[in-house]
Amino acid sequence: MKQILTYVFTLVCISVNAQIQKDTIQTYKKRVLETVEVDFLSSYYTQEGDNASVSGGIGTEALTDATGTIIVAIPLNDDDILTVDAGVSAYSSASSSNVGPFDGQQAADPFVASSGASSSDVWSSVSVGFAHSSDDRNKLWSVNTSIASEYDYFSVGFGGSYTRLFNEKNTELSLNVSVFLDTWTAIYPTELRPFYGGNGINNTLFANNAVTGNTNYNPQFTPFNNVQRNSYAFGINLSQILHKNIQGSLSLDLVRQDGLLSTPFQRVYFKDIADSFIENFHLADAIEQLPNERFKVAIGGRLNWYINQNITVRTFYRYYFDDWGINSNTVSIELPLKLSDKFTFYPSFRFYNQSSADYFSPYNEALSTDDYYTSDYDLSNYSANQIGFGCSYTDIFTKAHLWKFGLKAIDLKLYKYDRNTTFGFNIITAGVKFVMDN
Amino acid sequence: MKKNNILIASVLAFSLNSCVVVKEYEKVNINDPDMVLSEKKCDRNLITAHSYREAAVGANGGKTGGGCGCN
Repeated sequence: MKQILTYVFTLVCISVNAQIQKDTIQTYKKRVLETVEVDFLSSYYTQEGDNASVSGGIGTEALTDATGTIIVAIPLNDDDILTVDAGVSAYSSASSSNVGPFDGQQAADPFVASSGASSSDVWSSVSVGFAHSSDDRNKLWSVNTSIASEYDYFSVGFGGSYTRLFNEKNTELSLNVSVFLDTWTAIYPTELRPFYGGNGINNTLFANNAVTGNTNYNPQFTPFNNVQRNSYAFGINLSQILHKNIQGSLSLDLVRQDGLLSTPFQRVYFKDIADSFIENFHLADAIEQLPNERFKVAIGGRLNWYINQNITVRTFYRYYFDDWGINSNTVSIELPLKLSDKFTFYPSFRFYNQSSADYFSPYNEALSTDDYYTSDYDLSNYSANQIGFGCSYTDIFTKAHLWKFGLKAIDLKLYKYDRNTTFGFNIITAGVKFVMDN
Repeated sequence: MKKNNILIASVLAFSLNSCVVVKEYEKVNINDPDMVLSEKKCDRNLITAHSYREAAVGANGGKTGGGCGCN
């Protein structure tokens, strides 16, 4: 009997001890995210160029955009994170204003912005994501959904990813999928609208504004039946620590798009049709016509090298091709230079080139007999250089406070992007990160 | 063909190096914020501008769909 009691007592002790150990492990399991983190991101973007796609490859591309975004990451427990991401972007676009260039206030001209309703808009977006990590932190899955809206466009998105770490967390394999279901509110150039179910050349637009050049203006115009645009993306990413100072990754993204891939208000001018004008503005012969399917493949690699405590080298290369005939290369290098334990300087350089889409023609060079045509210079053959400078401030002790939040980091960057055409942009980006006090 | 060879060589290099294991206590430099294998958050709007103005998208953690970027 004594032996049995001793045996039972021993079993109970082992069981309790095991439970205590288990509880201890749970108690000390490192949280995926220690506390609430809040990121404020903003940017100011300006662009210039002389090849506006709205006016068929000729005209001002001047555009300014100011964007503000807040990202809140909330730890729900040791393993789960909820992320809410909301942003607003306000832009004004000279080329978009020329969807309706005949405002009566000045001579219509593709190089002059008009005062039309399409000259500015606000884009807004909200997305919510949930991520779960396994107890050993070797498995991670996440899901997200998003909506985005502007005057003529609405987008709903869904996505998910699965990440597996192995080889003592030296190797990471991720799979991700995303779907975007977009809807256009199709807006067409003003001079084309009377030619579908309207009174054509007898419209008051042409009565009030004399047509010059070819006065027998008779464009090809039929509105799009399908105003949906769907995008389906699948990606795979392999990351590997190669050395205690070097790590790299390889990525493959496959994207299929279908639906309305043309932009309804982008004009095209045919060289085999005589030109018609109102004032200085060339009247559209047609709107852009592009295939309703597109398949894109991007293969990229990153290699980062921690040279010493002052210098890190960050490199990226991507090769891209699609079934519209575009091939592209992207190369970038960034050299973070640690100036002190709190300040880092970020010089960077990026080179990009692409070949022309099969359907691209310069201004007034498309043929009316073709099935597909565009004069969107974003689909043309070009190369571009970008230089960037930035600075970041990091305080891991979060001494500065705003209410219950400690300031962890501030980033400020400036980029200048120039194509070998007339197009270029400048963007200033800023990010401020706060973490909530525990 | 040359690009394919580069890709295959890269995959092989990664595979071979997967035998090398850097221990957790050796990852101080790997865990430096500037060593992360993605773009910084503050560059998000730059990446979006690239995806709107350039044909190429993907393989950089940026958006691969949604939105028209048509202005």
